[in-house]
Amino acid sequence: MANTALAGSKKRKSNVKFWHREGFVGYMFMIPTLIGFTAFVAYPLVVSVYTAFTDWDGVNAPVWVGLKNFKYMFTEDPIFWKSMGVTFLYVIYTVPISLLLGMALAVLLNKNLPGIRIFRTLYYLPSITPAVAALVLWMFIYKSDTGLLNLILSNIGLPKVGWLTDEKIVLISLAIIKFWGVGSMMIVFLSGLQSVPVDVYEAADLDGANGWQKFWKITFPLITPIFFLQLITGLIGSFQAFNEAAIMTKGGPNNASWLLSYEIYQSAFINYKFGLATAEVWALFFVILVFTVIVFSKSEQYVYYENE
Amino acid sequence: MALGKKGHELAVKVIRYIIILIFVVPMMLPLLWMLSTALKEGNMVFTNPPQWIPETFAWENFSKGLQTVKFWSRFVNTLFITVLCCIGQVLSCMCVGYAIGRIKFPGRKVWFYMIVGSMMLPGMVTLIPVFKIWSALGFVNSYVPLIVPAFLGSPFYTFMVRQFMTTIPRSYDEAARIDGASRLQILVRVIAPMCKPVMATIVVMQFQGSWNDYLAPLLYIIDNSKWTLAIGIAQMSNTNYGVQWNTLMAADVVYLLPMLILFFLAQDFFMQGLGSMNSAGVK
Repeated sequence: MANTALAGSKKRKSNVKFWHREGFVGYMFMIPTLIGFTAFVAYPLVVSVYTAFTDWDGVNAPVWVGLKNFKYMFTEDPIFWKSMGVTFLYVIYTVPISLLLGMALAVLLNKNLPGIRIFRTLYYLPSITPAVAALVLWMFIYKSDTGLLNLILSNIGLPKVGWLTDEKIVLISLAIIKFWGVGSMMIVFLSGLQSVPVDVYEAADLDGANGWQKFWKITFPLITPIFFLQLITGLIGSFQAFNEAAIMTKGGPNNASWLLSYEIYQSAFINYKFGLATAEVWALFFVILVFTVIVFSKSEQYVYYENE
Repeated sequence: MALGKKGHELAVKVIRYIIILIFVVPMMLPLLWMLSTALKEGNMVFTNPPQWIPETFAWENFSKGLQTVKFWSRFVNTLFITVLCCIGQVLSCMCVGYAIGRIKFPGRKVWFYMIVGSMMLPGMVTLIPVFKIWSALGFVNSYVPLIVPAFLGSPFYTFMVRQFMTTIPRSYDEAARIDGASRLQILVRVIAPMCKPVMATIVVMQFQGSWNDYLAPLLYIIDNSKWTLAIGIAQMSNTNYGVQWNTLMAADVVYLLPMLILFFLAQDFFMQGLGSMNSAGVK
């Protein structure tokens, strides 16, 4: 009896020692993040606060100029507000429709029918296509005189569209490419749908709920965490869209696709105005932050977490 | 009436198939057009009406396209970067995810929120200062800026690993600990084998990320011989001498092939790994 008690206390002691060492071990495992966070998040954030208030060509030392960059950006720069508007439009075109389309397609394919796996793969294929490969392909499809889309339109008697040359159309054309790659959103929704337990539906079946009711009352609330995550990442991604402008349109026509990220790239790495570029980055960041905070504050009301 | 119910179910099934088939068309047509163009002779590219199946298959487009884009040297460059980034992300995110998810060290909560916070931080915000760090260290025009960050744990993958690991009962750690295993041994021998889905997800996503990446190589790689495929192909579409669309599409097809193969290999694990994102959210 006494022996076991002794063994027990010994064990407890080694337990305590073990858990004490946990702090040290934990931080050993954290080393990648400790370095990564310091070097690539914290330090850059601090530096870029300062850089935004300087003139800096990237070679000589930055010169403090106070609010000059912001003043120039908001009041004189002919392109900044246009670029901001273009970016907003692009986000409004792409994010809501991608989310709804991705979810709708996931629901459509979340049924065990013969051949369904093949269809899931086919829907996902476009989003496997590397961004550059996809953009080059769409450039070819959008060609104004001889591209596939305009050939099809003219063959069924419709007028040709200046997909990448008409400033009213170009953002929609870019959005269509995004919708084409909606498979990546779809597959995340699909994985979420498949993690919904089947038994919750049985109760609903007994109550005689129809498909529409079942989706909005049962399925949707259960996948709100994924919906929420996709909304946030979708917003952040679309606000930073860059490749489309850089590869396909060079911001044109008439700056109608001059996305903010492209403007930042131009200011920094083409015109070597790193101070101005950083000020533009902060404007972009501020907008994204406002959207993220709004989404987060609303999330309390509708995002369902299993563990609570 | 009973027949009516069965008939109703069948009708719903048929309608579902029809809708699925309707959506397949816009999803697949661009890719088929890419393949078809890649196989056409130069003078057949712009026929009206569009020709879906080439009269003669111009296989030489592939050799020409690969040559124009200097495919093999760029393929090696891109693969080198991509494979190292995948290894780096898996190693670092598994370690950090394990610490955040399963080790009770002081400050764990704070670090978790820092990770979630930096997950939300737009990459554009740190782009310029990070570029300046690398150029001050003299690593511009090398692969270091493209590879090293992958060994420091992407917040998003770390978050995914953490979410996945919280679904594994803690008793596994405790049992292994009683057998005298260290934390590292527990991670490598016990927990990691159960995390294959999430590791596969990281590999697929990071492979896609590095393989596709356009902005980072554009900023950091100057020498033509060090370019990646993304830069090479984007460049090829931007020449002033008239684009050879058939050879460009051929190069495009070969460029996307590795992604396709990887996806088919990892498909099942990948889907499982994604499923874990729904659990517990960002709380």
